[in-house]
Amino acid sequence: MKKQIDVQLKNVQKRFQNQVVVKNFDLEIEQGEFISLLGPSGCGKTTTLNMIAGFLDPDEGELLIKGKRMNGVPPYKRELGMVFQTYSLFPHMTVGENIGYGLKLRKVSKQEQAERIQKVLELVKLPHVADRYPKQLSGGQRQRIAIARALIVEPSLLLLDEPLSNLDAKLREELRDELKRLHQEIGVTTIFVTHDQEEALSLSDRIVVMNYGNIEQIGTPYEIYNQPKSEFVHTFIGKTNRLPGVVSSIDNMHVHVRTENGLMIKATQSTGNWTVGQSVTAFIRPEKIKLTTQSEKDTSDNSVNGTLDIASFLGAFTECKVSVGSTLLDVRMQEKVWTGNGQDGETVTCSWSAEDVFLMAEGGK
Amino acid sequence: MRLPRFSLLGFLTLMILIFVNAPFLIIVPSSFTSAGYLSFPPEGFSFDWYLKILDRPEFIDAFFFSLQLAAITAIVSTLLGTLAALALAKYKFKGRDAINALMLSPLTVPSLIIGIAALLFFTRINLGGSFLGLLLSHILISIPYVVRLVLTGLTSFDYTLEKAGYMLGARPLNVFWDITLPMLRPAILSGMIFSFLTSFDNVTVSLFMVAPDTTTLPLMIFNYMQESLDPMVASVSSVVILFSLVFIFLLEKVYGLDRLFGLNAQQH
Amino acid sequence: MLKRFPYLFLLLPALILLLGVFVIPMLFILVLSFQGVEGQFSLENYKTIFTDVYYWEVLWKTIKISLYTVFFTLVLAFPVAMFMAKTPGKLRGLVTMLIICPHLISVVIRNFGWVVILGETGWINVTLMDLGLIEQPLRFMYNEVGVVIGLTDAFIAYMVLAIATSLYSIDQSLYKAASILGANRIQSFFHVTLPLSMPGVFAGITLVFSLSMSAYVTPALMGGTGVKVIPTLAFEQIMAVLNWPLGAALAILLLGCTVLLVTLFSRLVETKRYKEVFSS
Repeated sequence: MKKQIDVQLKNVQKRFQNQVVVKNFDLEIEQGEFISLLGPSGCGKTTTLNMIAGFLDPDEGELLIKGKRMNGVPPYKRELGMVFQTYSLFPHMTVGENIGYGLKLRKVSKQEQAERIQKVLELVKLPHVADRYPKQLSGGQRQRIAIARALIVEPSLLLLDEPLSNLDAKLREELRDELKRLHQEIGVTTIFVTHDQEEALSLSDRIVVMNYGNIEQIGTPYEIYNQPKSEFVHTFIGKTNRLPGVVSSIDNMHVHVRTENGLMIKATQSTGNWTVGQSVTAFIRPEKIKLTTQSEKDTSDNSVNGTLDIASFLGAFTECKVSVGSTLLDVRMQEKVWTGNGQDGETVTCSWSAEDVFLMAEGGK
Repeated sequence: MRLPRFSLLGFLTLMILIFVNAPFLIIVPSSFTSAGYLSFPPEGFSFDWYLKILDRPEFIDAFFFSLQLAAITAIVSTLLGTLAALALAKYKFKGRDAINALMLSPLTVPSLIIGIAALLFFTRINLGGSFLGLLLSHILISIPYVVRLVLTGLTSFDYTLEKAGYMLGARPLNVFWDITLPMLRPAILSGMIFSFLTSFDNVTVSLFMVAPDTTTLPLMIFNYMQESLDPMVASVSSVVILFSLVFIFLLEKVYGLDRLFGLNAQQH
Repeated sequence: MLKRFPYLFLLLPALILLLGVFVIPMLFILVLSFQGVEGQFSLENYKTIFTDVYYWEVLWKTIKISLYTVFFTLVLAFPVAMFMAKTPGKLRGLVTMLIICPHLISVVIRNFGWVVILGETGWINVTLMDLGLIEQPLRFMYNEVGVVIGLTDAFIAYMVLAIATSLYSIDQSLYKAASILGANRIQSFFHVTLPLSMPGVFAGITLVFSLSMSAYVTPALMGGTGVKVIPTLAFEQIMAVLNWPLGAALAILLLGCTVLLVTLFSRLVETKRYKEVFSS
């Protein structure tokens, strides 16, 4: 059975003083979906969210929520829930009054208000704070209350505007898991705006990667990470080694690329149609490169020798910079797997599989 | 309170604080004198000069007149100033900076000149010596304080709070009453108290605007002082001091005097 | 109209008041100051003022009194502001309170207090005579000394607040940096505190000078008939002599003079280097 479409953006455009900030935005969001708008600041993700919320009106195109056209409808008539980066709890109201404000506006009886407030407080695991003021809560608690306030009115759509950005690293992870749990429990359609790729990857059913007002790619976290459709997506999501060069030869197994710095790289054929002499860029993620000492036998498709310049131990992994001729490769090692002593200046071998090389034609997608 | 060890700076500060507060340290005790003339230290102790105020209905009338004037001034200037500040903070329009500067300009022109200008112009349009003229001139000199305070309140106002209200289904008027206004309450309230004090204390502008039959209390003291100096000036002044202190205390509670005068206390 | 310009609706009441009670009256006295005896346009008011040595003397006295006031407020305010900047917590709050409280109480009452202290039968004279230190009472009142004392008391709070604001904004780590580089407390005062307090000092000077130039109540009460300044002259012309055009001209002259001197002052002190350091 086909799922119901909750939100539809049809060819939406937004300009600020002759500058187009959102271009030809087309998106359909299914009921219950958790979708992230991901991109650097100024990519148009917040503008898009503000249009869905009703704080901005699209200059062109149509916005439909639950099949109803929303252009020109003010935010207070849209029946949505929203959580902001700065928590935005009303400081002059207690936690209970904050959460109950939406119900009060909907003229829900006092008793029902109290019951629903208690229920939603339990949902966010803060059952005993109704009489406190927001100031008396920690950042993480405040954001939980903000989520509770948004959820209590049973919105048709939950909008999250970088809700985790103001929290410190540990809390952020905790609340991220909390968001995931809540979404699984309630199943409310959710649009999540973030510039943090990890948050987007871990939470979303689908991710919309945006840049300069354009949609670069829409896909599942797996697709976005492993099958990026553009250089931007590849470089924005995770760290990568960028090696521009020219296709030097093609055989039935591999495409051979000579990089500008004279490195020879093998990539799999399947990535596209390539011609000899074509300018391309090869990308290899640091964690796909294996580091060994020269004495070890290696059977990988690609294998080059270099010197270890810097090795920074970061706990769960070690980040290395390896000079291969005049190319500097970033390598991320899960653990110390090679037998060398990891001293700077040591001679090492970098190897990687042809499948892990991502090729992209120069200048195009 | 942790008292620092003796320092030259501390000693100088103490001396200067005594200097600026000397008038009050003198006036209040000498109002309790039992002698028939002003002296410090006072001779004896009595409430004679307070009781004598009751024999002078013109002082009591002036007191209540000043009170009324200050109250109306405070209400009207708070209303007008708050509305203007809201417009200046929330809307971007051509000439906004100019209007902002205009709103604050009565602060930069000496009140003597404001008084002269108002008197000469009001007399020309037959408002000279009227209550309305006096009231309007007091509102004029109080408005800038309200505008400045409310604008300061609005610059630190987090507008996403309003957005949060809209998302919960609050209409613009609801958002204004339930969210914006309560958040601005300290700024508005202190603007009102400050307006009250500005009007209640004013002499220079009142000097030009009062009619002979209605006069404000400070002006009454001013005129009385130039003719005779008896302990009644001290007792009347003490009443005014006490009265002003109540409002100053309120200001401190509502807003904080340091914040009111632009000293942010966040350091240290 | 209101739909397109919603702000107009909010601004209008205050704007009308400002125009009617401030802008138009100001323009009105400007025009009036150029009015001759028969209501025609003339420069005679200004001619009267500029050709009469008496007015020049009074103007000079007004400026002189204002400069003295600026000097004394500056000298007295600086230590207080420094103390406030250096002292944390409740004590600072108390000092702030004791500076601001008098500032919010009517100047008439403060002047009255000074009369009781400084008058011929005032506290100081009586004490000194009782001690046998003087035979005749000293004259503190009804001369320029009294006016300067009264004005210094009246305006010192402005100076303290202006200087304190700029002292508060000095990054405290600068003092640590200076001290690690070998500066002692006096050196760090002259090399860090004083230069960085200049915006506050200049603001305070400008403010106190303008206020002193146009002060009427204190010269009237503390100077009596003995001290004439431009504000008292203007008051006399308008309220007693009823020569309004001349009074208006005096008011305009006072305003013009103050603006001119203040502008001159800021031109002088705001050097290129000053602007480079303090412009935001």
